[in-house]
Amino acid sequence: MEQEADVQIEKREVWDSIPVGDDLGTMDYVMTEQMIADYRRVVGNPRAAYPTVAARHPANLFYRKYAKIMRVPNAGHDSQFFNPPIAGKRIFVSARVADKYIRRGRPYLVVEATAKDEDGRLIEISRLIGMARPVGLPAHADLARKWGQ
Amino acid sequence: MSMRPLQVGDRLISFQHKITRDQMIEFEYVVWNRGKNSHSDIEAAKADGLTQTIASGQNQMAVVHQLLEQNFGDAWVYGGKISLRYIRPVHEGDVLTPNGVVTEITEADGKPRVMLEVWCENQNGDKTSAGTASAGQPVAAISWIEKEARPVA
Repeated sequence: MEQEADVQIEKREVWDSIPVGDDLGTMDYVMTEQMIADYRRVVGNPRAAYPTVAARHPANLFYRKYAKIMRVPNAGHDSQFFNPPIAGKRIFVSARVADKYIRRGRPYLVVEATAKDEDGRLIEISRLIGMARPVGLPAHADLARKWGQ
Repeated sequence: MSMRPLQVGDRLISFQHKITRDQMIEFEYVVWNRGKNSHSDIEAAKADGLTQTIASGQNQMAVVHQLLEQNFGDAWVYGGKISLRYIRPVHEGDVLTPNGVVTEITEADGKPRVMLEVWCENQNGDKTSAGTASAGQPVAAISWIEKEARPVA
């Protein structure tokens, strides 16, 4: 366990290199009727309003920039919901690194994504609380150790 | 859906949701195709240090979302806020029960705001996620569905 912690500290330089406020760019896609129908079927909720829950906007944009060096397994989410996406409308997402911190010796990154549709309707603001794990380390090693997975 | 104003101590009407392997896999492909990962593929899970696949955190978020949608209607969908932490792994076959208890009624922009403690627990009664949420007082309207049903002019 100590060895792994040492490795994490050594590799914390990767985490150090990602600044708070870092612009993660933008992406856009059309939320289709099929996507909404598929999401509702998969989650077993025929009225689900936000298929974007499965779109993982923060992680999506984070990985477009950092997939080769950093993983951010999901420790939590802080989300605000404003207007459900409408089928056929294009969704525009922007994201940034909103915060970073060390907790119990482990580095975390907070990635915030804002989604609006093509008419400018605010859809949601979602913050991913990610356990920052350098690529090359088992991303869920902590979880496995804690829960005997 | 509850129509009366919620009060401190009220508990939301809940349901059970079984996590299946197919659902775990498909959740990784709807809307955004994430490819094989520790939620959908055993080899990827092993590479991440696990012995079996685990449901994604967002999969739990979807269950809590449903709880809040069903209990608050438009009041959740247009203006809901949630902070959820994933505290215990969820596996294929687990049965999740989302829960919500009103902790406080505050005011925001001149309107009542219902503050809740929310969590999911598995079939053993263990909490798998926990956090807080808030929304306006419940309303009967589910206008996002009504808008979908409206014929295009």
